[in-house]
Amino acid sequence: MKDIFGHLRSIFGFLKRQTRGFAGEIDYLSFKTLFTRFRQVLDDHNRAIEVIADMGDKLGGDYLFDINYIKKAYSELSGAVYSSMQNFDVLTKNKYIKLHDVFERIDNQIKRIIYDVPASTGLVIFYDNITWDMPRDVGGKNSNLAEVKNYLKLNVPEGFAITTRAFDEFIKHNGLNEKIESLGNPPISPLGKGETLFNSPLGKGGLRGVMPNELHDLIINGEIPSELSAAIDDAIERLKEKFKGGLACAVRSSATEEDSEHSFAGQFETVLNVPLKGRAVKDAYKRVIASLFSDRAIAYQRQMGYEPGRSKMAVGCMAMVDSASSGVIYSTNPNGDGNTMIINSTWGLGKSIVEGQIDADFYVVKKDINPEIIENRHGRKESMIINLRDGGVNKIKTPDSMMGRPCLTSEQVLELASRAIQIEKHFRKPQDIEWAIDKDGRIFILQARPLPPFNSPLGKGGDGGCEREAREFSNATILMKDRGLVVQKGVGAGRVFILRHMDELDRIPKGSVLVAKHDSSNFVRVMPYVSAIITDTGTPTSHMASLCREFRIPTIVNAGNATQALKHGQEITVNADDGGAAVFEGTVKTLLMHADSNFRRMEDVYEFRRKRYILRYIAPLNLIDPLEDNFTPEGCKTIHDILRFIHEKSVSELIGISRAVSKEHAHVKLDLKIPAGITVIDIGGGLNIKPGQRSAAFEDIASIPLKAIIKGMLYPGVWHSDMVSLKAKDFLTSMMRMSDITSDGLSYIENNVAVASKEYMNLSLRFGYHFNVIDCYCSENARNNHIHFRFAGGATDIVKRSRRVELITNILKGYGFNIKTKGDLIIARLANIRQDEMENILDQLGRLIAYTRQLDAVLHDDGAVERYSRNFLKENYGL
Amino acid sequence: MSKYRIMVVDDEKIVGDMAKMSLEQEGYAVETFLNAEPALSRLKEEKFDVVVTDYKMKGIDGMEVLRTVKKLYPETKVIMITAFANLDTAIEALRGDVHDFFPKPVKIKELKASIQRALSK
Repeated sequence: MKDIFGHLRSIFGFLKRQTRGFAGEIDYLSFKTLFTRFRQVLDDHNRAIEVIADMGDKLGGDYLFDINYIKKAYSELSGAVYSSMQNFDVLTKNKYIKLHDVFERIDNQIKRIIYDVPASTGLVIFYDNITWDMPRDVGGKNSNLAEVKNYLKLNVPEGFAITTRAFDEFIKHNGLNEKIESLGNPPISPLGKGETLFNSPLGKGGLRGVMPNELHDLIINGEIPSELSAAIDDAIERLKEKFKGGLACAVRSSATEEDSEHSFAGQFETVLNVPLKGRAVKDAYKRVIASLFSDRAIAYQRQMGYEPGRSKMAVGCMAMVDSASSGVIYSTNPNGDGNTMIINSTWGLGKSIVEGQIDADFYVVKKDINPEIIENRHGRKESMIINLRDGGVNKIKTPDSMMGRPCLTSEQVLELASRAIQIEKHFRKPQDIEWAIDKDGRIFILQARPLPPFNSPLGKGGDGGCEREAREFSNATILMKDRGLVVQKGVGAGRVFILRHMDELDRIPKGSVLVAKHDSSNFVRVMPYVSAIITDTGTPTSHMASLCREFRIPTIVNAGNATQALKHGQEITVNADDGGAAVFEGTVKTLLMHADSNFRRMEDVYEFRRKRYILRYIAPLNLIDPLEDNFTPEGCKTIHDILRFIHEKSVSELIGISRAVSKEHAHVKLDLKIPAGITVIDIGGGLNIKPGQRSAAFEDIASIPLKAIIKGMLYPGVWHSDMVSLKAKDFLTSMMRMSDITSDGLSYIENNVAVASKEYMNLSLRFGYHFNVIDCYCSENARNNHIHFRFAGGATDIVKRSRRVELITNILKGYGFNIKTKGDLIIARLANIRQDEMENILDQLGRLIAYTRQLDAVLHDDGAVERYSRNFLKENYGL
Repeated sequence: MSKYRIMVVDDEKIVGDMAKMSLEQEGYAVETFLNAEPALSRLKEEKFDVVVTDYKMKGIDGMEVLRTVKKLYPETKVIMITAFANLDTAIEALRGDVHDFFPKPVKIKELKASIQRALSK
């Protein structure tokens, strides 16, 4: 009994929440004004999304553009966002005023790129805040790592950089400038014949004006300026908060030239497992910056053509991973054909591998859509390096139980390989990657730097290649051609995965071509792993489309019947270019080899990379799911996020406002063949009736969405006016839940209200015990369109009610709805759908509402769910 | 056969850099200039087959480049690109015997096609 009342309370609570923020009723006129604001939000949103799509296109490597284009495009974009925010504030009564600060912050970042304003970093900066233009401030190693963390979103230990400005301050504070400058001119020429770094006078010291290692020692004994000392203390405290439970960090060098053209591998000091205490970290900091001036490091810099006195040392402090195993990946095997990578691994810390441990495990992995281990050798690993409890590390004999045993599973090797491919793809050069796996099995990337160039066998193709290519190309069987719209150009190959339900998303094998009926921003979860996307419907300006451009996944939308024309599991190659889209049978290797080459070449142009960086603050979408916790103003990282937030919240706000519209104003009864008892509040173009007319027939409905849904409800056979017989228990339950069980024969007067305009509808329905809210915008512009469908309640016991939830969810999923259920509350959303398709879906929803009104009373077993779903889809509406 | 020589004049580095990258890919020898003065001195030393120039630049503008090129080498083709496209500039350029005229952003594929046409005439 208590449960039943609790349930009732939750239903009413649900309805009450719908009107939150608009206590009491609001009048018709102010609703009309708010609705106008809503439409302006939509218009601005569209304008902005179009600019974003255009910028993605123009900055994609196929156009020569200049800063004037960027200025013009961004000014249009920011204008649209600003105007959208103004209208949004009115609509939401300034509920999300914080959005202005978020916009201002992003806007500042963008203007910095447009107007070439240098970044102003402090003495210490956390990895989360390191951006593209900071390699001179944080050094190469920190810069690359921040990129892996912030852009590729791979797991990197929390940490902060101590900047080159801090280094300058330290040098100045200790009066070392002059000594450093005196390093400027080498006293001798670079290495002579037969000399090595260690037998030359260079390597043995002999620096004019400075004694061997003198600078090094002066730094070790130097004093850290108080401002820097406080900044480090503060950062340590913040790191402790972020890195719960961890008490140590690794202090690593990150010189300005390091990890760029020359790796400087092993030239500078790294201090591992430093206790997270001010004194220890600062001592380690001094050791690392001092290593810039060790004789060996100076000799190396001179040999590579650098002026030693000009290099600066930033430092990275990152939480120490308690590694179970770790190692190094060369993302391209220097001795291979360019299609393999090598992975070394050992127990404990990877320091031993970096230092040349010879009995580590060794894998050669084929770099393919699905990486494959093609060679493995398991070493003895006689010794291993471990973290000591009080700081520092120690080399110990590997326990017998671990010696000779591989320290990675095949899955881990392949997982590492996928990440390496991702990193190499991003930096466009083969990478030397340090990684660790902690005791919970989590993979961390500790470092990524370019491998020194080696003769790549790629790109050797002679002139004969073109001819061969043409032949192979023309032999390929075309499965689809000139169908659909190209969202992102490129070539991708893999096995077709036809996605029927969103639940299957996690089951898509890596490298598949995702083929789905509708587009969805939820696909973002698999974007790093799929090789192409094709959808039957969809628009090139949807959220998913922007995501596909961001991830550069070859994508075709609106392809008609791809889900029918392609077979699940079939191997295909998708080629999307200026000329349109084509799908070939099998893997067309020549097409794949040239894929994206224009973009990759352009990425080598520094100015291009630099200007294109602006898109990072504009195009990516981080707010994917409105039901997730990060769906807040603070969660917005880009202009696109802001737009998404405004759009989503405007719709929710409108639902709330619609429910609060006073029924006293301009309401008209719908006179239908079924006793649905719907009252319409026309807010402009919703009904086609004479002034003063108080009732309207189906033919008088002018609102596109309302008409479509009512059409469905009126479909022959779906509305059962006979009362379904309830079993004794159901009957008892329903008696306790509601007083009027026999009301079906009567109209549901006053319960059912539609607020409607030509393109908008908010329909609240209560049929006995079922509560339904359908909010919908349905216009010619697919991007404006949405359906929000909420459903709660039921007369029968919880088991039957959940069967109905399952049935409705099954059917809604078929139409591509994104669904959350909680008990017997269903929240389903769908957006970016073409008008004709919307009308069809609304028609089906109308039928579904009518059909399921009493369905739970007959859902006696789980098999019935399947049966009635099937019947519904076959348009067999008998109960 | 020696490579065709192409000069690109634009006061924004990104335009020259991107043009160079894509045109060299086609086998052309490309030289880029950030303003017209050094470009014109270079032209006095050596002939180029195609000159791609921005219309609006500080100092000497694209029209002046066009006139000088035509005076020195009547057969050299000039392609004008501009961010501030309007009918008047297009007409002015066409009267000055420009081979082609593109508003920026310029689709690289179209620029390449235009250069090919210029060279085949």
